[in-house]
Amino acid sequence: MSLKASQAWAHLQSHAYYMSQSHISDLFEGSQDRFSTFGFAQDALFLDLSKQRITDETLALLIQLANERNLTDWINDLYSGKHVNDSEDRPALHTALRTPRDHKLEVNGTEIIKEVHDNLDCMEAIVSKIHSGQWRGFTGHSINTVVNIGVGGSDLGPFMACKALSDFQPQEAANLKVHFVSSMDGSQLADLLSHLNPARTLFVISSKSFTTIDTLANANTAKEWLKQSSNVASEEVLISRHFIGVSASPEKAQEWGIPKSNQLAFWDWTGGRYSMWSTIGLPIALKLGMQGFKEVLDGAHAMDTHFKETPFEKNLPVLLAMTGIWNINFLNINAHAILPYDGRLSHIPAYLEQLEMESNGKSVTREGSNTDYSTCPILWGEVGTNAQHAFYQLLHQGTESVMCDFIVAAKRYHNTDNAELQHQHQLNLANCLAQSRILALGDSVIEGADDAPVYKRYKGNQPCTTILLDELTPTTFGQLIAMYEHKVFVQSVIWGINPFDQWGVELGKKVATSLLQALGPEAKEKQFDNSTQGLLQHITKRNA
Amino acid sequence: MKITVWGNELPAWTSAAALAESGNHIKIVTGLDHSGNKNEISFKTSNEPGLQQCIDQAILDGRLSSVTEEDGLSNSSHIISLNPDEYPLAEKIVCSLSKSLPNNLLIINQSNFGVGSTDKLQTYLKEANNQVIAYLPDMAAEGSALKDFKQPQTLIIGCRNEWAMLNIKALMRPFSQSLKQWMVMTSKEAEFTKFANTGMLALRLGYINELANLADQLDVDIEVIREGMITDPRIGHHYLHPGCGFGGLHFQQYIEGLSELMEENRNSKLLDTVLVENEKQKEQPFRKLWRYYQCDLKSRTISIWGLSFKPGTASIDNAPSLKIIETLLAQGCSVKVHDPEAGQNIEQYFGEHPKLEVYDCCYDAIENSHGLLLLTEWPEYWSPEYEEMLNRMHTPLIIDGRNIFDKEMLQSLGFTYYGVGR
Repeated sequence: MSLKASQAWAHLQSHAYYMSQSHISDLFEGSQDRFSTFGFAQDALFLDLSKQRITDETLALLIQLANERNLTDWINDLYSGKHVNDSEDRPALHTALRTPRDHKLEVNGTEIIKEVHDNLDCMEAIVSKIHSGQWRGFTGHSINTVVNIGVGGSDLGPFMACKALSDFQPQEAANLKVHFVSSMDGSQLADLLSHLNPARTLFVISSKSFTTIDTLANANTAKEWLKQSSNVASEEVLISRHFIGVSASPEKAQEWGIPKSNQLAFWDWTGGRYSMWSTIGLPIALKLGMQGFKEVLDGAHAMDTHFKETPFEKNLPVLLAMTGIWNINFLNINAHAILPYDGRLSHIPAYLEQLEMESNGKSVTREGSNTDYSTCPILWGEVGTNAQHAFYQLLHQGTESVMCDFIVAAKRYHNTDNAELQHQHQLNLANCLAQSRILALGDSVIEGADDAPVYKRYKGNQPCTTILLDELTPTTFGQLIAMYEHKVFVQSVIWGINPFDQWGVELGKKVATSLLQALGPEAKEKQFDNSTQGLLQHITKRNA
Repeated sequence: MKITVWGNELPAWTSAAALAESGNHIKIVTGLDHSGNKNEISFKTSNEPGLQQCIDQAILDGRLSSVTEEDGLSNSSHIISLNPDEYPLAEKIVCSLSKSLPNNLLIINQSNFGVGSTDKLQTYLKEANNQVIAYLPDMAAEGSALKDFKQPQTLIIGCRNEWAMLNIKALMRPFSQSLKQWMVMTSKEAEFTKFANTGMLALRLGYINELANLADQLDVDIEVIREGMITDPRIGHHYLHPGCGFGGLHFQQYIEGLSELMEENRNSKLLDTVLVENEKQKEQPFRKLWRYYQCDLKSRTISIWGLSFKPGTASIDNAPSLKIIETLLAQGCSVKVHDPEAGQNIEQYFGEHPKLEVYDCCYDAIENSHGLLLLTEWPEYWSPEYEEMLNRMHTPLIIDGRNIFDKEMLQSLGFTYYGVGR
């Protein structure tokens, strides 16, 4: 049955007609305690949906919709290793990556959890060798710098986690610097290499397929840099001491030159954007220590259990997803701002842009028909207090409806005696609460707003979610990210799309290959459209 | 004069022996509550040339005796000669002395507790009653300690009290014949001077090691360079031997103390850099081995001669051998080691390790070896049986961390030889 033909959809549509007449501030006036009605907790994480344009009835209808879309069955299929990624005919088992060692999951005759932990053990051995100073470079000096070369899922997750959790760097990792390089044009890498010591630098080449051109181009530059700085060691020795490959294609990694002994594996059933829990998380483990990394996994596993076992009425990822469905499909809001009020979470917008838009930015259903409803909105974001000086003007007074996620930690700096920093946290919290309040309720929050000139008015009514962490720790971070992953899955189930493939990014790679030839000496005449041809000529002339 | 010396290390025994020899009656209190490193064996007087004889004679003449703490309190002149980390013990001694000798108490502090510590000790004393503590830096080098004490070129004295100065000058008169200069300053200044000297020595060692590493890369023999350098009288030959890093508990402690002082007050990284580079230098022999075997030492048998931080001691405090053994084991090597004195300390430090064997005979330690690392220049290693070595070793590779071997000769015998900077 198509989505729009479902009973709940029809009810939601008429409910939306009624609800679109009301302002969020009206909803607060009509109810004594929206916060306790629309506030939901799981361990150290709290989800406040009270500033959404919803009522009890909205949530009930949304949950009815989830049920009509057989969400429970889908969740079971996801966890048990069914081929939920149908276009690539494979499972999506990121939940297995954070399942404790004593659990069991057999998929196609293989004990998956054991494999997962075997790989984590290999990773632990590498981490311990580097942390103890016993991973030696070609001169015999110990490694003190790690550069992760990867892009997309092999970059965004680990990059975000290392930034978010750098307060938790243990003593043994204190002298280790971890850098990330992703851009194909080499500008990040060139910048970095100019002040690194080749004898003490280790490169982690992360690529699921080990054919990603962006990553391999950077890896080759790194290899040449090492070769030039060591005129004695052979290429084979240099690679064995200075490169680790993390890949689901060990043969391809070996072809590039990385011996099996320097490889960490993961599986084709680990989607790139769901892979930071696997050996792709090596930089996280190097930064936080293996113990810290395992705490991230534990946090995610706690969320997995919550998602699987909690009734939808109290299930955080389901509620987060379904309010999104409400905003997108019934209130016609197609923009979503991610607003962390915490500098440590500065990379979470970029991470969620990939997670949500690469997963659900699709318009063909699993059955192969075009959707006649909206799917993933446009997501973007920035650290909230900085965004206040940038795009909040549009949120407050523009013509677009935008739903906003405020993410903030209740406690910070409480273990220090730095009064100035503690004060800065209070300031940050005050701003977070103030902005979501004005965005949702408008200038009704102050006295006498009606008298202000029209250009000073704030209309409000932008639906806001606040995600409150007790504090940002490896565990709560794991919970938070797993919650978003499951949110994305729930929405994909509602929309009937496959969130685990990304066919839309393939064609560009092919066309780039033919254009690379056109930029070379063997360029053929008039191969492309008029614009591209014109640009090519322009570039060729400038380089002549 | 009747003097009590408090301490049990080289400076304490040197002062006691030299002062007894010149007619003083000395009590030495050695049975102090040492809080130092358990791996360090106590100082051996027999290791210092001439010292044991001098002590024996003084005992025979009845002018030197080892006494208990209580007995030590009775004299009116005292020398405190403790380790840098024993400041609390010095405080305890000074407090006891202050109580038992309310008037005319002279204490000479010979310990390096840091700049300002003698002044701090003075606060437990009443200067008005002639209870005075002065600072006399210990400038004696190991190997020539007695001579340095008895024939100083310069005497630095940290003291501004006239009564105390009179007594100190009287005490030091037998040794001031060839003295070029009495340098009298405040105890704080004298402590600073001592620190400054130690730092200078560390800088020289750091500098020559840095040059040696550069010489390695430029394919120049550092020994030739060094010989050229020392002909310049402004430079001289002291503390200019390249090697695989300095160790020992006290030298390192002084420099760490000075380095912290410089960093806190001056934001200067100068001495910190010396310390950091010295730690790297300790692994230099390992790195030569590592490169020789193309960065793969798995399953090799590697031998080490010399485990103590310097010859003449069983102490392995901050010794290069510790880092190198740990690294070799981490790389999957079997490690065979020998040292005339420190073998037991190494066994204790590493515990039972299936891949670490300590030998009593240095030739047994090179049986089937893929390479020998020389880390401490014990006299018995200077001229070994080369034929025996060639017969016993699997690969005749010698990495000389102290530049004691003759490079050309070893090469002509068929050894592969690497030194520090050569």
